[in-house]
Amino acid sequence: MAMQPIEPLPSSYRDNAGFVFKHNNKIYRLINENYFGHYDMLLQSGLYKELTTAGRLIKHEEIPASSIEIATTSNTKIIFPAQLPFISYPYEWSFDMWKDAAIVTLKIVQVCLQKGMILKDATPFNIQFYNGRPVFIDTLSFEKYTEGNTWIAYRQFCECFLSPLLLMYYGHRDMGKLFVAYPDGIPLEITKSLLPLKSALNIHVYMHVWLQSRVSVQTKNKKDEVKDFSKQKLELLIKGLLEFVISLTVKKNKSTWDDYYTDTILGNNYLEHKSKLVKEYIDQINFKTVIDLGANDGYFSMLLQEKASNIISVDFDSNCVNDLYKSIRKNNIKNIVPIVATLNTPSPAVGWANEERTSLTERLKADLIMALALVHHLAISNNVTLANISDWLQNMGEFLIVEFVPKADEKVQELLLHRKDIFTNYTLQHFKDCFALHFNILQEETVGTTERTLFLMQKKYV
Amino acid sequence: MTTYFLYIDPSSGSYLIQMIIAAILGSLFFIKNIWYKIKIFFGGKKKPADEPTENEL
Repeated sequence: MAMQPIEPLPSSYRDNAGFVFKHNNKIYRLINENYFGHYDMLLQSGLYKELTTAGRLIKHEEIPASSIEIATTSNTKIIFPAQLPFISYPYEWSFDMWKDAAIVTLKIVQVCLQKGMILKDATPFNIQFYNGRPVFIDTLSFEKYTEGNTWIAYRQFCECFLSPLLLMYYGHRDMGKLFVAYPDGIPLEITKSLLPLKSALNIHVYMHVWLQSRVSVQTKNKKDEVKDFSKQKLELLIKGLLEFVISLTVKKNKSTWDDYYTDTILGNNYLEHKSKLVKEYIDQINFKTVIDLGANDGYFSMLLQEKASNIISVDFDSNCVNDLYKSIRKNNIKNIVPIVATLNTPSPAVGWANEERTSLTERLKADLIMALALVHHLAISNNVTLANISDWLQNMGEFLIVEFVPKADEKVQELLLHRKDIFTNYTLQHFKDCFALHFNILQEETVGTTERTLFLMQKKYV
Repeated sequence: MTTYFLYIDPSSGSYLIQMIIAAILGSLFFIKNIWYKIKIFFGGKKKPADEPTENEL
């Protein structure tokens, strides 16, 4: 077999220490010779072992280039990291996911310093949620620390972690979404303009945001003077940042979607029967990966948690997603990744050439898709046609468990309360017609005493 | 006026700010430590030892 040339992934162009590439649907990382010194230190200092044992850094194994039949040009190394089932982006995280990502980054820097190393960058894109916890995935971010140097990534940390965290803390819990507009970090100038003045009374906010943006302006033309910083000072800086980040807790604003299942007038019988049906449906099919669209607090994700290898739980309500994340952490659940996304406007492709970070639609692939009590929101609140919904779902996976909530349902009536009913097509029959274009209906059942219908469908291959 | 830093290294100015912050934090932690010792002297509780668990961040 001929040796295949390798191409870096579009997200991997920034670092000259190496790059990430895909080969036979597996992800590998190539290390250039200029990084060998740092890489050896990472391994030999015991840093790699300590961080991977604690679950903070992704594990990898070094493999010979010849073993995967690729052509490498010069003196390089290839490593094969643990494969992530799903890549989430920071603008899809809830507050505590951001917070934990920041904490892990800072704790890694602390351990690095003990071993004479440092992180050369501090971006949340280096963190993924894997095995139920934030894990640092960029093995090439570690560099030898030279005594007397400051932290090169300090400003980046402030703009990439502190900015979004403070905007969520002082402003709205959804402000992390602003990161989609500033994927290289929300500039301190912007953050400053959005924070309330009272935030400057906090010494940490004052130092890292107000003071830093002012000092940077004043010194922009001066060359840095003699480096008489010290590791001890650097450790103080990291400790200060860490204690501050840990102290940030988001105020919980009660939303419509809180306690949706406990409060809802639909009653226990509905939820019980729906759970029973879902269990019956999943017993009939083979699947490993699941996407739970409109997951709310993750009730149904949890139901599938034992049978699935990996579940992506999507909801637009960051309160619900945050609660789900916290319960995943608390109960040490390893196979659910919760993300915040508004499904009628999912995260776009961003970054260089619009290829660096892929769109959510491109990343949402699984064997089984669940869309429970979701279609009526997309159709009635967002005017997405049933044909569009069926089209969108058919590219996502093989099996579909989908619920149809008819117009007579009190929840749909609530949605129609303050708007003109232009949805003459919104009927069970039309729903079935639209979905039958792409799916075979394997089963359909009425849920409890409601008029809602739960379907099990399989993708049709024409 | 908005200043755009198109032609400078984003980390320039970093040295001065990190010096200042380290100095402030140094005194802050110093005071905190004294305060903590005073509290213990007057019968306050000792901080529980940090036991890292598998699920710890």
